[in-house]
Amino acid sequence: MDPNRPAELSWRLSSHPITLLCFLAFRMSSLLVYLFGLLFTGNFVLIFIITILLLAVDFYYLKNIAGRRLVGLRWWNEVNPQTGDSHWVFESSDPSTKTINATDSRFFWLALYAQPLLWVGLAIVAIFRFEFIWLTLVVIALSLTVTNTLAFSRCDKFSQASNLAGSALSGGGLAGNVVTGMLSRLFARG
Amino acid sequence: MASSSNPYEHYNSPHVEDDGDLIDPDDANLDDLDDPLQHTTTQSSRAPLTGNITSSQSYLTSRIPGEDRRASGNTIDESVWETLRRDLLAVWSKMREVLYPKYLFGGSMLDNTTSIRGAYANLREAGLQGAREELVGLAGRAMDADNLLAGGGMSEGLKDWDLWGPLVFCLLLSLLLSFRALEEQKSLVFSGVFAMVWIGEAVVTMQIKLLGGNISFAQSVCIIGYTLFPLVIAALLSALGIPTIPRIPVYLFLIAWSLAAGISILGGSGVVKNRLGIAVYPLLVFYLALGCLCFIS
Repeated sequence: MDPNRPAELSWRLSSHPITLLCFLAFRMSSLLVYLFGLLFTGNFVLIFIITILLLAVDFYYLKNIAGRRLVGLRWWNEVNPQTGDSHWVFESSDPSTKTINATDSRFFWLALYAQPLLWVGLAIVAIFRFEFIWLTLVVIALSLTVTNTLAFSRCDKFSQASNLAGSALSGGGLAGNVVTGMLSRLFARG
Repeated sequence: MASSSNPYEHYNSPHVEDDGDLIDPDDANLDDLDDPLQHTTTQSSRAPLTGNITSSQSYLTSRIPGEDRRASGNTIDESVWETLRRDLLAVWSKMREVLYPKYLFGGSMLDNTTSIRGAYANLREAGLQGAREELVGLAGRAMDADNLLAGGGMSEGLKDWDLWGPLVFCLLLSLLLSFRALEEQKSLVFSGVFAMVWIGEAVVTMQIKLLGGNISFAQSVCIIGYTLFPLVIAALLSALGIPTIPRIPVYLFLIAWSLAAGISILGGSGVVKNRLGIAVYPLLVFYLALGCLCFIS
């Protein structure tokens, strides 16, 4: 596939369409249930459980399946059984063996960064409406999504740095922080 | 026409800068000239590249300690089913440790058989002297529960922690306990139990960490979350509405089961040597509190 082809946000261009659609569905469903669940049932407990389970499934799917298949990144935690110290490992696939579809990666990073921002917005809404029971749910959602976002951008930094160092490109593509990294992901390289 | 006398009258002479530093003087020798090699290395792509790599770790992400690794390719390209199967098996292996607390029931037996076999080997080798030492050692092991528990290494299933067990059991516990609550108190009971379970897990974990246990925070939360399984049965029995009198022995048994699983996993992994009692006491309080909640609901 031509790497310079513009990345359009169309799932038909994806090389893993099922993975991508499942990923987007899980990402959006927790937000939708949180926002509109109470229109269909007045049961707080039911909405709470469904939202938490959807968030957990989304976390798992993004961490273990979508990140690996869409952008070739993965992270996990290892525990040293002797000392009990935990140790984070960030893994990225070898670019010579695995090519990353531009559409996939653009969808991935867009969804990855948009989700925590949306939950921050909902947290502000919950604070101003004094709905502290819902705020606990938003805090859980934020901690799950922010963990994934930080871990994947940490993963991606290593992947980008070693790819660029290997091919000795000019340093312009190396973004200085998360925001510019994200912007360059979304708009420049897609 | 006066103007035609000078055809270059309207010619704007180009502004020429002083190009003394652009054109080298004729009498310059090699030392006066710019070294093109030195000049380009300071501005070539290599120097800012290396500078950028160190600074490309932004403040947020560089704060995350950890190891970067290039994927080996054997598991980063595996199919979805393999990933799911491996994680489900990991969850099941943790469940098995809770269902059958092996360091209390099976582990001590297994220890004894191996040491009896060892004793037999010693007997043949060293005769009476060795046998006596072995017997003393066996008796000492049996008396010292701490030592017995600390003998085993951390089991495979607990090295890689996950939060599925804590999440699912916590949700089930809160849900089942809120079934019997009054209609207007349901959400209050649910969120109360939910918060209590997570705060309780955090407090017990903090206490183990402060006692110097060699276990990570998430790992301990994982273990305590999985050992809530017997209490989920208690909550289920409450939701089904069994009468009060049979509840007492059944719930005491279930709390004891939770505690046995907790002690066996935490102790069996050698978390806190010689201070097992003080480490698991808050665990007992935690299980008792949840058991009482099941009892009165």
